[in-house]
Amino acid sequence: MVNDESPVTRRSYLKGTAGAAAMAGLAGCAFGGSGGGGDDTLTIAGTIPETGAFSSLGQDLRRGYELGHARMNEQLDRDVELILQDDESDAQTLRQNLQQMTSNNDVNMIWGSFSSLLVTAGSAFAENQNLPFLGIAFAYEEPHRNDNYEWTYAPFPKSRDVARSTLGTLELIPEGERPSRVGIWEPNSGWGKEQADYWENRLGDAGYDIVLRETFEIGSQDFSTLISQSQSADVEVLLSNPTPGGGITAVNQMQSNNWSPKMLKFVRGADPSAWWSALGNAGAYALMCPGWVPGLTGNGNQRLRETYMSEYETESQYMPVNVGGSYNLTQVALQAVQAAGSTEAEAIQSALRSETFQTVIGEFGFEDNGLPAEGDLTAPTGQWWEGAQRLAYPNTGSQRALEFKYPIPPWSER
Amino acid sequence: MVAGELVSQSIVNGILLGGIYAVAALGLSLVFGIMDIVNLAHGHMLMVGAYVAILVFAATGITPLIGMFIAMGLLFLLGIVLQKVLLKHVVGEGLEQPIIVLFGLALILQNIGQLVLGGDARTADLGIPGNGIDLGFAFLSLPRTVTFVVAVVLIAGTWAFLQYTRTGQAIRATAQNRTAARYMGIDTDRIYVITLGIGTALAGAAGALLSMLFPINPFVGWSYLLKAFAVVVLGGVGSILGTLVGGVILGVSENLGALYLGGGYRNVVSLLIFLGVLLLKPEGLFGTGGGGE
Repeated sequence: MVNDESPVTRRSYLKGTAGAAAMAGLAGCAFGGSGGGGDDTLTIAGTIPETGAFSSLGQDLRRGYELGHARMNEQLDRDVELILQDDESDAQTLRQNLQQMTSNNDVNMIWGSFSSLLVTAGSAFAENQNLPFLGIAFAYEEPHRNDNYEWTYAPFPKSRDVARSTLGTLELIPEGERPSRVGIWEPNSGWGKEQADYWENRLGDAGYDIVLRETFEIGSQDFSTLISQSQSADVEVLLSNPTPGGGITAVNQMQSNNWSPKMLKFVRGADPSAWWSALGNAGAYALMCPGWVPGLTGNGNQRLRETYMSEYETESQYMPVNVGGSYNLTQVALQAVQAAGSTEAEAIQSALRSETFQTVIGEFGFEDNGLPAEGDLTAPTGQWWEGAQRLAYPNTGSQRALEFKYPIPPWSER
Repeated sequence: MVAGELVSQSIVNGILLGGIYAVAALGLSLVFGIMDIVNLAHGHMLMVGAYVAILVFAATGITPLIGMFIAMGLLFLLGIVLQKVLLKHVVGEGLEQPIIVLFGLALILQNIGQLVLGGDARTADLGIPGNGIDLGFAFLSLPRTVTFVVAVVLIAGTWAFLQYTRTGQAIRATAQNRTAARYMGIDTDRIYVITLGIGTALAGAAGALLSMLFPINPFVGWSYLLKAFAVVVLGGVGSILGTLVGGVILGVSENLGALYLGGGYRNVVSLLIFLGVLLLKPEGLFGTGGGGE
């Protein structure tokens, strides 16, 4: 298995396959090259939200993919072509782009995009085309369980992992100071319900009081009723998974209504850097589970950070979270192709099902339905502090991690 | 907070929100009532106004309460140019042509916003602390209260302008009967230019106010257009008092709907009221049924 600290390895499948490679080359010539570059080239199609509602994340995803693509070209014995297009944060556009990319190229694998909405759209296309598909920022479990996925794999913590890490984060607080009253704001979506169910069950079983569970519409601009209800129920821990815009709106209104919980976790809502640019210090203390957070160690984290800093000429100690998340995806792709020893879809699929992967988010394998194997992944929990997201849980001892900041002080004391 | 306080808090929050809805709808109502066109770009003009206030605040630290006047000035000019360059060719040519022009304008504004400023949500700071006044039965959020008061002043100012100035009277005369107004020597083309200018300036003002309460991104235009449209239908096209009442009804019903049915059904009560008014009093609560030709 390759990792970023090891020297470049050659794949065993090449041994004694020179003849087969020559045949493949001839076949490529015979068909005149269809843009994929022939059988030796691994062609990956992907979409990212460079415009539209999720555009603040597009650049981070692109950078993670580009760094991973460069690493794949270093470590694989074949050319790797990465074709990325803007999906405009729109599922229909995403599908059209994938259709066009796969029509014009011999695509071997698809990567893609951000959020359950867009990732499931890409996944549906890949399932239809029998192409291996990797997607992050995709915590929603139900599609994996109910849609009989065969080609979709999510190297990303799922709803159950998010609930588990919420419990872990709470356990960082000394027992005597630990809050007990939990409120859940549930977006009216499939993932919203799934995540709320996991939180309610997991935290309820652990002895926490779920004193509030209320739904809200995705895209809602007014959270004042939820804020009043939370205040009335004396909510100490507020959990939700709003869209980024919704999360920012909610905190804005908590401030103007002079109420805040002692602990705030907005999965996905607090993921993008727009959180800080819109809220500034009002966004401090917020927790998120973006899949990767500065402060994680091992499996190539240090090299990723150094490459990122030199490639993009930044001195920031804190890389954007979605760079790490998307880079982790590319590590899975690299290791799957290495293990498969082929660019054939079935071989890559088989490797995805059977191998264990070491990436910047940890070590894990996949279940047959594409979920990361239960218990393998801890959802790393980041916390906004002084303009950056830093690892609060689990404790890695990294200088880029922080000691979990609790409780959130009242607005008047901030 | 006991159950009774939750209800009173929801009503207070709804009233404060309703004031903003009302000012967001005022320009739309004015243009609809006088020019007989549905300004599909109204929400996007509101978005432009919000961005002007946000950018002025970011560059100079000037509160959006002042930046609002810059936004109003710029949007007033936009409205004039829009009428003189584009709409004068299509106003009075039926509903479809202005709708197509304004729909195109909405898309252009949205894409320019995205191109220039990206898709990130942005906010401006009101510059006052995030606290308020505890009335005992409800908490008055200071930012919301300030924006509500400014919204009511804007609405009252628009009403006074239409009621007591010669231009305002000419606008009302044009709304009642365009042909008769022409016969009476009113330059109706000029009135249309002024009306669209005022309508877009009010959208700019609403945007600046909204930027202090809600994050703004280039895509918010459609949702505010829908809210504004609902307020106009509730209150009655062209009725300024109706706009205020319609806004408050919408705000309060949304909040009570969220409280009793859950936030996922936030809009259900307000939509039911909206449908009820359409069925029982299609001209709106304060509508006159229109004058027209």
